[in-house]
Amino acid sequence: MSTTSNKPGLQGLRILDLSQVAAGPYSTMFLGFMGAEVIKVESLSRMDINRGKARPGPDDLRVYPNGDPGERPWNTTAHHVHRNINKISVTLDLSADRGKELFRELVKVCDVLVENYRGSVMDRLGLGYDVVSKLNPQLIYLKISSQGATGPEANYGSLGSTLEQTAGLASITGYEDGLPLMTNLVYPDPVVGILSFGALMAALRRRLKTGTGCLVDLSQREVTTMLLGESILDFSVTGRVAGTMANRHRDMAPHGVYQCSGDDMWVAISVGSQNEWEGLCQAIGQPELATDTRFADPESRLGNQDALDQIISAWTEGQDHYEVMHLLQSRGVPAAPVVKGSEAIDDPHLEARGFWDVVEHPEAGTYKQVTTPWLLSKSSRQQSTPAPGLGEHNYQVLHGILGLSQGEIDTLVAHGITDDTPTE
Amino acid sequence: MTMTDDNILSDLSVLDLSQGVAGPFCAKLLAGLGAEVIKVEPPGAGDSSRSSGPHLGDTSTLESSALFSYINTSKKSVTLDPALPQQAQALKTLAKDCDILVESFPPGHLESVGLGYSDLTEANPDLIYVSVTPFGQTGPYSSYKGSDIVAQAAGALMYTIGLPDKPPLKVGGEAALYTTGVSAFSATMMAVYVRDTQGFGQHVDISAMEVMTVSQIHSSIYAQFGRTPARRETNLVRAKDGWVSPGLETGVQESTWLKVCELIGKPELIEDPRFTSQEARRANQQDLLDVIADWAGTKPKEEIYHTLQALRTITGYVATVEDLLVSQQFVAREFFKSLPDPEFGEVAHPRRSLPNGWQHLAVTPRTPIGRAQRRDTVPTPGVHPQ
Repeated sequence: MSTTSNKPGLQGLRILDLSQVAAGPYSTMFLGFMGAEVIKVESLSRMDINRGKARPGPDDLRVYPNGDPGERPWNTTAHHVHRNINKISVTLDLSADRGKELFRELVKVCDVLVENYRGSVMDRLGLGYDVVSKLNPQLIYLKISSQGATGPEANYGSLGSTLEQTAGLASITGYEDGLPLMTNLVYPDPVVGILSFGALMAALRRRLKTGTGCLVDLSQREVTTMLLGESILDFSVTGRVAGTMANRHRDMAPHGVYQCSGDDMWVAISVGSQNEWEGLCQAIGQPELATDTRFADPESRLGNQDALDQIISAWTEGQDHYEVMHLLQSRGVPAAPVVKGSEAIDDPHLEARGFWDVVEHPEAGTYKQVTTPWLLSKSSRQQSTPAPGLGEHNYQVLHGILGLSQGEIDTLVAHGITDDTPTE
Repeated sequence: MTMTDDNILSDLSVLDLSQGVAGPFCAKLLAGLGAEVIKVEPPGAGDSSRSSGPHLGDTSTLESSALFSYINTSKKSVTLDPALPQQAQALKTLAKDCDILVESFPPGHLESVGLGYSDLTEANPDLIYVSVTPFGQTGPYSSYKGSDIVAQAAGALMYTIGLPDKPPLKVGGEAALYTTGVSAFSATMMAVYVRDTQGFGQHVDISAMEVMTVSQIHSSIYAQFGRTPARRETNLVRAKDGWVSPGLETGVQESTWLKVCELIGKPELIEDPRFTSQEARRANQQDLLDVIADWAGTKPKEEIYHTLQALRTITGYVATVEDLLVSQQFVAREFFKSLPDPEFGEVAHPRRSLPNGWQHLAVTPRTPIGRAQRRDTVPTPGVHPQ
């Protein structure tokens, strides 16, 4: 008979997190939500880029709560506050021998190491997989990189936006004019962050079976290209090169966004089946359209999309975008408002499902936090703990885990190996 | 025990009742790690993605969809209709022996035919039951219908994509649905790990809307910090044969900028106050792009990408699917694998959506509808299995 529990399922796992920016921190954020202990390691001279600058200039203020960087700006940037929850922070200078030594001690008591430095940074520090796997053969080492750990471009740098280009995603994202566009949202980063979590679970299962850890070599470019699978298969057989389609679809029409009342408010509508088409005609009060020969079947609708879009825009214009969703969905038509960030935090559906955590950050204030892209019925999510201040848990880690005395920690501080204030 | 990396899940079987993109993609990833996946499709038209374009032949048939072929590698196919009582019973029997069930029906539908989570756990208490839907199993929108664009809109992803003077733009293809499948995979893998270590199965609830709300990554926090995220102009520059982003406005060392000025044949720019620091280059981004455009317009995009990356810039080039198949990096890592399709011959597949070293051996092409190729114990449609 199965037992039930309602606790975060990853309690007891310890993660050593060297990752920066988005993909890695998102992955370790999910691990924290599911109960793992995540130790975020940064150095005083090279904090996570998410923390911004030690002394921000006037052009940098937009990433702080209400534009106010506060006394310790590195603890309050939007990206840090939002991506580094559920972690504890320790600082270590990994270029110093003593810093490396302590890091190696941490490696011995952790289950997973996550890093997303450019290519060979860890090898140059003398802390690459070959070294750390000897210290701890059970260690799972997740290496997230732009291009993967091998190949001629292994050391190339990337941003989320350049990955969208080199992985092909930008070539199928854009308006009718064919100009490729990026998402402005570093879309590959969350995708890789979400997939990394599953890859780590697989590696943990592998460890249960074999007793040994492994290197998980995850290429962000490859993960992003998997989003274009059907276009790759198609090219290889027919030679067709997929391009931009604006908001249109290969098979569905109407399919797009339509302007509603308010400032820059839109509703997205997609119609696939005949039932959905008839539902749309009913909902907009023009049931006769369902038998209009221009729109009688999917092929006709695909061929007459401009006319369709005009009819629908004329109907949505002046209506509330949420109201349009409810009305269309009541007729079985897929539709949703094009939600802004400011609307998402008040969305009644997300609210009802408990999607947001309300977090009281001691320096950045109270805000609503993104949680996990899944709900598990018996492995509950842990309530968010605020993103840690730089070095906030130095004592907890250096004393509590590594057993250093306060005197030894003071010596480290005196040598600039650890502290809670970044160097300039 | 030794194991190869493609059999991490080889002791598990998956009953894949899902249709479309997200659920089947989750099951594909499980199959890629060695799980045995039995795909159950409704008789007749089969999975809805079988009718989705692009089609590999001149006409649309049940076996011609590139989308279906991509998402359903390494699975066996059987046709059964859960709405018919006898076939629902056959499904119930199959579900007794499986470890993971993946489904994408509207919430409540499988309960109504006796195949809900609590129905199946009577005989299979440790079952992992994965529901992948547009809006999740609970909440006021749970009965609402979805699609890729609807998920991108509802989840606050789409609003900031596109140009300022144009409507919000979706990420191309079926990106939201694939990402939803990835979330389902990762959550399923966690449920498997929890079952291994704690001894129980559970119900996994995946909402495409929430996957997108996680993926919007900063719009919600910016909004709360007093900043309004908006659509913005692109920084792409036209090359001879396409588009590049030079990547000179962020993260470039001063020595790199000097080399770039020499490279593009404009050493006078080294002294130009518009570009003498990183802050200045960012402030004068459009001027910078114009200067680079004069040079880039005469060069192939991949040459620009390699030349500037060699100077330690963060340069990108817009690869088309045609470019991807000949990318030196993808070729070196053997990222694409040619699979023989029973009808269309050799077809290139991205063979690795999981780490290098994994998912190499397990990939087999789609199985034609109703044919369970590697297992002889699955029932024929409508026949009650013994």
